[in-house]
Amino acid sequence: MSALTAWLKQPQRSVPVLVLAAFALYPVIRPYDGYPHGVLGLGFLLGVQAVSWNIISGYAGYVSLGHVTFLGLGSYTAALLGARTGLNPLIFAPAAGVVAVLVAVLIGAVVLRTRGYAFTIITIALLFGAQIVALNWKGLTGGGDGVTLDIPPWSRDIQNLPFYYMFFALLLLTLAFSAWIRRTKFGAGLLAIREDEGKAGVIGVHTTRYKILAFGASAFFIGMGGAVYAYYITFLNPTGAFALLGAVTIVLSALLGGRGTLWGPALGALIVTVAGELATVYGGGANSRVLVFGAALLLVVMFLPQGLLPTVEAWLRRRRGGTVGYTDQAGALVARAIVLDRPRPPAAPDAPPLLEVRGAGKRFGGLVAVDGAALTVAEGSVTGLIGPNGSGKTTLFNLITGTLRADAGEVHYAGRRIDRLPPWTRGHLGLGRTFQMTRLFRGMTVLENLVAPLPDGGWRAMAADAVRGHEADRAKELLGYVGLAALADVPAGSLSYGQQKLVEIVQVLMTEPRLVLLDEPTGGINPALAERVVETIRDLNRQGVTFLVVEHNIPMILGLCDRVTVFAQGRRIAEGAPEEIRTDPVVLDAYLGDTPPEPAPAEGGAR
Amino acid sequence: MAALRTRTRTSVLPRTAAALTATVLLATACGTPPSEQGADSGRPITIGMSLPLTGDFSQPGREAKRGYEIWRDMVNAKGGLLGRKVQLRITDDASNQDTVVADYTRLITQEKVDLVLGTFSSLLNYAASAVAEKNKMLYVEPAGGAENIFNRGFQYLFYAQPATASHQADVFVEWIDSLPPDQRPKTAAFPTQDDPFTRPVIETMQRELEKRGVKTVYETVYPPDTTNFQTIAGAMADKKPDLIAQGAVFEDGVGLVRSLKQLDYNPKLLFQVSAPSNSFQYAKGVGEKNTEGVFYTVSWNERAKTPLNAEFVAEYGKRFDGATPAEDAADAFAAGQVLQAAVQGVGKLDQKAMADWLRSHSVQTILGPLRWDKRGAPQAKFVLAQWQNGRVEIIAPKDRATTTRVVNPKPDWQ
Amino acid sequence: MQFLQAVIIGLLIGGVYALMASGLTLIFGVLRVINIAHGALLVLAATMTWLLWRETGVDPILAAVATTPVMLGLGWLIHRGVITRLPQGSPAMTVLATFGLALIIEGVLNVTVGNIFRSATPDYFAQSFRVGGLALPKPHVYGFAAAVVVLGGLYLVLTRTWTGRAIRATAQNPAGAALVGVSGAGTAALAFAIGTATTGVGGSVLSVLYPFYPASHYDWIARLLGIIVLGGLGSLPGALVGAVVLGLAETLTATYGSLQWSTLVFYIVIMVVLLVRPQGLFGTRLREDALA
Repeated sequence: MSALTAWLKQPQRSVPVLVLAAFALYPVIRPYDGYPHGVLGLGFLLGVQAVSWNIISGYAGYVSLGHVTFLGLGSYTAALLGARTGLNPLIFAPAAGVVAVLVAVLIGAVVLRTRGYAFTIITIALLFGAQIVALNWKGLTGGGDGVTLDIPPWSRDIQNLPFYYMFFALLLLTLAFSAWIRRTKFGAGLLAIREDEGKAGVIGVHTTRYKILAFGASAFFIGMGGAVYAYYITFLNPTGAFALLGAVTIVLSALLGGRGTLWGPALGALIVTVAGELATVYGGGANSRVLVFGAALLLVVMFLPQGLLPTVEAWLRRRRGGTVGYTDQAGALVARAIVLDRPRPPAAPDAPPLLEVRGAGKRFGGLVAVDGAALTVAEGSVTGLIGPNGSGKTTLFNLITGTLRADAGEVHYAGRRIDRLPPWTRGHLGLGRTFQMTRLFRGMTVLENLVAPLPDGGWRAMAADAVRGHEADRAKELLGYVGLAALADVPAGSLSYGQQKLVEIVQVLMTEPRLVLLDEPTGGINPALAERVVETIRDLNRQGVTFLVVEHNIPMILGLCDRVTVFAQGRRIAEGAPEEIRTDPVVLDAYLGDTPPEPAPAEGGAR
Repeated sequence: MAALRTRTRTSVLPRTAAALTATVLLATACGTPPSEQGADSGRPITIGMSLPLTGDFSQPGREAKRGYEIWRDMVNAKGGLLGRKVQLRITDDASNQDTVVADYTRLITQEKVDLVLGTFSSLLNYAASAVAEKNKMLYVEPAGGAENIFNRGFQYLFYAQPATASHQADVFVEWIDSLPPDQRPKTAAFPTQDDPFTRPVIETMQRELEKRGVKTVYETVYPPDTTNFQTIAGAMADKKPDLIAQGAVFEDGVGLVRSLKQLDYNPKLLFQVSAPSNSFQYAKGVGEKNTEGVFYTVSWNERAKTPLNAEFVAEYGKRFDGATPAEDAADAFAAGQVLQAAVQGVGKLDQKAMADWLRSHSVQTILGPLRWDKRGAPQAKFVLAQWQNGRVEIIAPKDRATTTRVVNPKPDWQ
Repeated sequence: MQFLQAVIIGLLIGGVYALMASGLTLIFGVLRVINIAHGALLVLAATMTWLLWRETGVDPILAAVATTPVMLGLGWLIHRGVITRLPQGSPAMTVLATFGLALIIEGVLNVTVGNIFRSATPDYFAQSFRVGGLALPKPHVYGFAAAVVVLGGLYLVLTRTWTGRAIRATAQNPAGAALVGVSGAGTAALAFAIGTATTGVGGSVLSVLYPFYPASHYDWIARLLGIIVLGGLGSLPGALVGAVVLGLAETLTATYGSLQWSTLVFYIVIMVVLLVRPQGLFGTRLREDALA
């Protein structure tokens, strides 16, 4: 009980709980308010849609402009099954949800393999396509004549009260579902996709599967809501069920309340519903609803892109003052040595190389970035990779981790060929990397950054709680090792560059890697912190983690590494122990000679 | 969320929200159930309706409002209904199904209007009539002639036009029957928009004409957003049908006429469903000279010699710069007349008794006499109209005809 | 004969579609913005044309001389007032914003000129040129001619003037263009304004060829998106080819296939092209592959 009181003491919990309680009680006190019940019920339904939309478009960042399609699909499913069987359409609500999910997964499986604009445009096409199919598949849908449903049997005195509670219950379920997703590693992965999809893949997030699942998850409760809606409105027709304005209303609600937040879309839905109804009652019919919606959409996008809730929260935070305390870099310096949960066994002396690249090639238009490159990394080693700017080191990293796909050659890792595997699968095999310019998910907290990675491709890992339990404990423990535990709840984007480098290394460790590729781990940070990074690498290497390190700091590389490979002009020019490399004339020539440096392709961006 | 805006110390927020909840709880009473009707008295009779004054159906919606208002004023000028003044409570549903349902629910359960009248477009009437039925309110609708709406087992629904969509063209088929055999069309083409109101008109007509031996040489159903009609026109020109009967809503009717003219194919008979009834826009769209001889059926005509029709047309012209009423305004006026007849026939505001009365009586309206079957579907006939010399003439049925002259065959395109 | 007739109509319609799509693809090419309001701007221009024609009796297609500068200015204003003020790097937000604009234009037309069908009917609107047994509808021929003039003009501007070359350079490589002294912002504003200006002529032609009302823009934007996705977003020749292909496909399915499902063709084209060949027939990719 006291735990509950304590939980409720936080305003971000008590306010919504009390508001929801008030909504739950209202019809008990006013059972005959058929009209407000109807209006609020539809508000809850809009809330169901906006909260669901938020899963794919807020969390994962893929904006759907046709989400009302799932409402139409759910309505039609329940109405048609009801008409065919003679049973009450409400009992087909779960089936309606399933149909919506199936269509979402089917479309998603095709579209969500891609990034960018395509998804948004196809969701619009999906809406219009559904309308055309509903119009023309007369045998199933009745075409333009539509489908009629029976009038509910209950007393006219409480006519909309059951609908009110049904929509309300669906809203609660949807909110709980959304909150649950947000707490899981799946949810953290969705945010990671929104922040940096390429990076998400590298830390083991199966981005395609995540996106399809999120799209499917965003359809289920809308489909169920569609079944209730069909029974409420008693008549369905293609233009009404698949109305573009409905899709706009969903987007508007979620944007207004706060995209990506839990409560924002529901709040926005209530505001839009109530404001819309007030405008209808008192507006006098002089204005055009299209005009008002269009203006609202444009204004929100331009002036309130964060939405109400985040804006209010930021304002409250500013009023309260008192930002979170930052540990300085000294905190990192006093940190303890990292202890891995599961150290790797030392490699057998005659073991084959852990990583072997043969004849890898990559060209960007006329520019040859990697040209028949070869590289081997022995298990348990710290292997250095050096070379002048533009010698293809980072591109080679991209080929190994799957950020880019090689034009030629093979990459073998732990006894299997991996150059055709997607990046997340390589991640699951224990291949991790950091980036030259750190690529943390800047809008997520440090802790969220650490719980997003997935060590394996299993479903169970995805559903694991990310906020509490083993994963979060492990993340905090690792943060403690590098002295950043106090920054767990700070947005990663607000860390110093050196801190970001450390967090990115720790982030890789969450995937329980076997081989870690570090791209200039000490580049751009102060010498003390750089020394700390080197120590961390040594600690981890002692516990069996293999490293491949790209660096320009030659003394550091020669001090740290067991073997060093030298690249120039996209190919290997030398390989050997540090002391051999130090004196190799070919290497000296490559660094000091008159070979003109090539322009380096942009990090991961060029195609 | 008002609580969020109050001064914020962590512990204040929950208390504020709790206080808010308590206020809501205290400030409310239980209310009265909708089934308890207010007592009749000398107060005016309030008639509620929600009309699409904005949005997709705003055109007919605004006309309906005019028709209803003229009806109200004419009733009140003669002493009102049951000795009480009539007042209208009109709301705007923005052509939206959700809103029309909310509106009628509010009018009936919250504002407790005495009577309701129907809205415009079937899409809205489907949803609105269910609210009325749920609340056991007589629902006379001026539009919504799709056959399905009458197959829901509703007891309180009545359609105040002469016929449902499927029987709208019966009068044209009968006119063809009246022709000497050698003047009847031998071949026909039936393009129709995929629209719940025009398609049944054409489908029924095609079935009836085929029964009479007219050969169908072309038929097609085109989607509502079809913009290019050259292909349909071209295909028909190829088949050279005597009759072209098009299920045209509006813009498709204009589009097809243009394309036929561009391809210079002129059928002997041209029938279009609703497009030609939008007189001004239609004549503008196809060119006034090209309207000559085009047939269509319509629920009403401004020169029909039905009771009150002349007064209605005159009043409409007086109010709106001498304009001729649109068919939609007349239909709304007629819906008012039907409701009026039911109230006066029963003598009190008893919704069930009024519905029963309508099922067993015929009502005289400006559209002509209307009567209904058990489902509330009308059992009368549309009139057959034809454009002649730039204006519309009624040629059948005889009792409502404005002329005996019929343009047949259709003259060449101008 | 019927086939030939259908092909000719399809080609004429395709030319008109190309005119309407050219601005949309130009804007995407330079700004990487899909302007969902393009259809609404067409309808707006058509309405202005209609009003001019009704009030002054001027030929509707010639009225483009008056509407084009207005649309040019409006395009500049939209770019200045909306596009440049959007959150950077979020294509979805741009789509939402221009979608909002489309609704605003539709709403304004609803409120000001009303929700009815209109079409301009100059003397020739239902006449045809006769060539052999073929009928060439005059409005389509004039519309096609207008399309040739605009597309040809656009081509000359883009290839023969410094401004045009700046626009093309920015479309291909914004960073590189900036290096050689092309102002990205200025070029973008210009491209948006020119792209919008094409709706002046496009709208004029639309007003004669097709009855329209405020909500017609949904049909048009769907059609134009299909065209430029097929042709390759940002590619002017692509828009031309895409327009002709879809114009032909539309008339031929209407003549020989089912009209009812023919509207689905546009959406299917959008889907299939985005999936199978995202760069369209010509032009840049609309999507990034997860692996590249």
